[in-house]
Amino acid sequence: MAPVLTHSNRSRHLAAGLALLLALMVLMALASLAVGARAIPLGEVINALFDPGTTGTNATILRDLRIPRTLLALLVGAAIGLSGAIMQGVTRNPLADPGLLGINAGAALFVVLGISIVGLTTLTAYVWLGFAGAAIATVLVYAVASLGREGATPIKLALAGAAITAAFGSITTGVLMTDATTLDAFRFWQVGSLAGRGTDILVSVTPFLAAGIVLALVTGRLLDAMALGDDIARGLGQRVLLSRCVAALAWIVLAGGATAAAGPIAFVGLTVPHAARAITGPSYRWILPYSAVMAPILLLGADILGRVLAPPGELQVGIVTAALGAPLFILLVRRRRLAEL
Amino acid sequence: MNTMPQPHEFIDIGADVAGIREALARRRLVVIGGLALLLAALFTAAMVMGDYPVTLPEILTSLLSPFTGTTQKGIDFIVLGVRLPRALVAVAAGVAFGLSGVLFQDVLRNPLASPDIIGITIGSATAAVAAIIVLHWGGGWLASAALVGGLATAGLIYLLAWQQGVSPYRVVLVGIGIGAVMTAMMSYIFTRARLVEVQEAVTWLTGSLNGSQMKDAVQLGAEVIVLGLLLIPLSRAAGALELGDDTARALGSRVERARFLLLGVGVTLCALATAVTGPIAFVSLMAGPIARLLLGPSGGAIVPAALTGAAVTLCADLIAQHLFFSVQLPVGVVTGGIGALFLIAMLITANRTGRTS
Amino acid sequence: MLKPLLTATFALLLSALPAVAEWTYTDGGGKTVTLPDVPKRIVAHANVAAGLIPLGIRPVGIYVDGPVKDDPSLRGLDLTGIEILGEAWGEIDIEKLAAAKPDIIIAEYWPLEKAYSGLEPGGGANGELIEQIAPVAGPIQGNSTEGLIKDYESLATLLGADLGDPAIAADKAKFETSKAAFQAAVKAKPGLNALAVWAGTDALYVASAAGSAELSDFVNWGLDVISPEIADDRGYWETVSWETIDKYQPDLVLVDDRAGPATLATAEAQPTWKTIRAVAKGQVGDWPAFWMRNYKVYAEQLDKLTATINVTDDTVGD
Repeated sequence: MAPVLTHSNRSRHLAAGLALLLALMVLMALASLAVGARAIPLGEVINALFDPGTTGTNATILRDLRIPRTLLALLVGAAIGLSGAIMQGVTRNPLADPGLLGINAGAALFVVLGISIVGLTTLTAYVWLGFAGAAIATVLVYAVASLGREGATPIKLALAGAAITAAFGSITTGVLMTDATTLDAFRFWQVGSLAGRGTDILVSVTPFLAAGIVLALVTGRLLDAMALGDDIARGLGQRVLLSRCVAALAWIVLAGGATAAAGPIAFVGLTVPHAARAITGPSYRWILPYSAVMAPILLLGADILGRVLAPPGELQVGIVTAALGAPLFILLVRRRRLAEL
Repeated sequence: MNTMPQPHEFIDIGADVAGIREALARRRLVVIGGLALLLAALFTAAMVMGDYPVTLPEILTSLLSPFTGTTQKGIDFIVLGVRLPRALVAVAAGVAFGLSGVLFQDVLRNPLASPDIIGITIGSATAAVAAIIVLHWGGGWLASAALVGGLATAGLIYLLAWQQGVSPYRVVLVGIGIGAVMTAMMSYIFTRARLVEVQEAVTWLTGSLNGSQMKDAVQLGAEVIVLGLLLIPLSRAAGALELGDDTARALGSRVERARFLLLGVGVTLCALATAVTGPIAFVSLMAGPIARLLLGPSGGAIVPAALTGAAVTLCADLIAQHLFFSVQLPVGVVTGGIGALFLIAMLITANRTGRTS
Repeated sequence: MLKPLLTATFALLLSALPAVAEWTYTDGGGKTVTLPDVPKRIVAHANVAAGLIPLGIRPVGIYVDGPVKDDPSLRGLDLTGIEILGEAWGEIDIEKLAAAKPDIIIAEYWPLEKAYSGLEPGGGANGELIEQIAPVAGPIQGNSTEGLIKDYESLATLLGADLGDPAIAADKAKFETSKAAFQAAVKAKPGLNALAVWAGTDALYVASAAGSAELSDFVNWGLDVISPEIADDRGYWETVSWETIDKYQPDLVLVDDRAGPATLATAEAQPTWKTIRAVAKGQVGDWPAFWMRNYKVYAEQLDKLTATINVTDDTVGD
């Protein structure tokens, strides 16, 4: 009797799982179009989708608010999930999360400086400011971590991240303490929200996020090799420095773009890769696509819940993801042995 | 047949070891002495610097006034009512934060571990924000809320991380999870509050020594001394912990209990200090590593870490008060900046020895 | 325990003595401050300065919640010779305050938080410590800006101001004219209603008149300000998702202007802003929220609002 090829069986199972998750994601997206703070009948939803000529408040809301918001949730979700997985792979630290490595602090600082010094308070301005800040913070983190012989080892990256977060955080707080208007605008941005993000935001970030997602999915092989340790990776013929750079680029674009668009949504990037790994096992070739699909599902779910839990207002997605995600995460921590990478 | 080393060989080996031990002990004394001197200098600066014009003889007269009975109305208020309590609270809080940081780092064996990062400070902070904005508490009630919040969160984290014992890894992970929930709660409260209330809360959250009173200093000082004394018997167990669980167990210390008590002391110190000053960023994180850097291999970082914490806090407060001409900032802003510079310096120098802590 | 006992005994003894107090002021929080003479050296919170300086009382020092140039209540005031004791919320420089040797510290009393501006119990400079330098007192943040300005008038008189001074009297007269014009404009359009809002990036916040002193004034003078159905637990704001902002259809929308034009810009960036019919017709005005403290500024703002009301079509809304 021919031996069972476990590997390809497993691959087939995982592929099937991924397809299922994709279907679930599409369902969630449709739900996101149909459900919101304003009750719009399903018939009108379908009408507005297929007939671009429909007018009226409901049509405006669907076209200009819900569709961009849903698309943004998909992109931002995928971006967060992927960047979290990459970060955990590169730093070999299961606690890596964009928040821990300076990106949120960088975005926040630039947003605060933009509001305070230049007086910019539109969402589009936040996007560019946030992106610039996140990019600069990451570059600084990498630069600082690379000082010295060994280059950017995981521990040094984490320490550098903490250092930059501290530095930027202290300037940010200093500004907030002395400028009430900035505080007033900032306290809403820093919750993490997809509300009010329309077509112009979507258009600004899509090129970056799309490029980032493609780049990220390609790094699966690189991350698998890096997980074995730098020496083995080199032995397998991989250029460690180049790999790190490629991964870092993907990570800056994704995490920076996501934070720029929606504000800091800190928890998803940490939890989703762990959940993905619990299903797929340690190979990044599977963890990455699974993260890319599971994260939007979580984000959309949280966003939809947020829209209906506090009528006539909404609960921001950043709050719901933490409220949902943290207990799930703790359950995960207790139930399974979360392996070191 | 007689392959055992001869007595004189024993003595030689003994002499080497004794020599090394002596050198290390001397280094430790030098470090502790140096830190104490630095602290004294900073304390003097804190008493002397300020916007109210007071001369050195006037300061001394004020300080001695409880004994001599000579009072100088305005000056006594400034020296004994403003500067002295502020400096004392800075020292007490610095010691508390420094000690809690080094205890966390020792027990969890991670140079990044500190109550800040584990999520306990967030517990105090969330309780305080809720108390300020929702309940409009202040003063003693607010401090109690922060204290209860910090301790309750610590308890919750411990309970959730406990599964036939507590692995440091799980504590950190659960701490991060709880921290995220608390941050979300705070963010929610911030978006629902009036701007004035948010300003109050942000001020508290930054960590400030402005308005420190003598009763705060005395209370916190007493608490720190009592808990510090508790550490003396426990620190013997702490020494064993650095060798790893297996070795420690073989040496007979009851690892689980020692860990629990040490973390408990660390958490309590942090919660008590936070209740008085608000969470002063990064002092707990910095104190231990700085002390270790100074001590080198001579170990025994607890006392130096306490002194370092006090020195950092006091120095940061002086900078926060006097660096900018027109505006006075809260101390937490400066410790954040110093924390960053320090961490970067750590990264640059650490690689020489291949160690990162 | 000992302290209240001593205080009570002391008070009892004091009350037995013949009255020596020359200057008494009972403030908005019900606290009575007694001083041997009329206080000459005053330290004031920025909002209080905005109330007292136009009435002729100049403090020796002020403390501000943020940078002086950004504070809307201090706009247009001459602050030469006044020392700035703090430009960050809660970080008043205690030593500078003591060095200024104030006789009294005047700050507004917030009844909900039960504390004084910048000295709230939750954070910031510890009120107890500051009380040891000089007593803290001030008018109450109540439900009428006109009432607050009147409180400042009585306080200023107590402090020795001459309200009959031509410049001061002219300001008040101008205010009375503007108020009358406002009332007439509103009366001429009985069906007019207004909505007061603050625009955030992720939601619109509708204000309740009960939570705002100037909106309460407008209501008392005849303007129909829409009350949100579900104001939050304090009764101040209702959070409305951008999807459902057409819930309220006023004739006139008043946008919080503390942050200048930024708030309106945030609203205009939203695709659903124009679903409020009044906005589509351009019937949007400014709401001078929480920063007015004197007749001159109030008159200017009322004139602006009256002009807007006069051109507002009151059939647009519900």
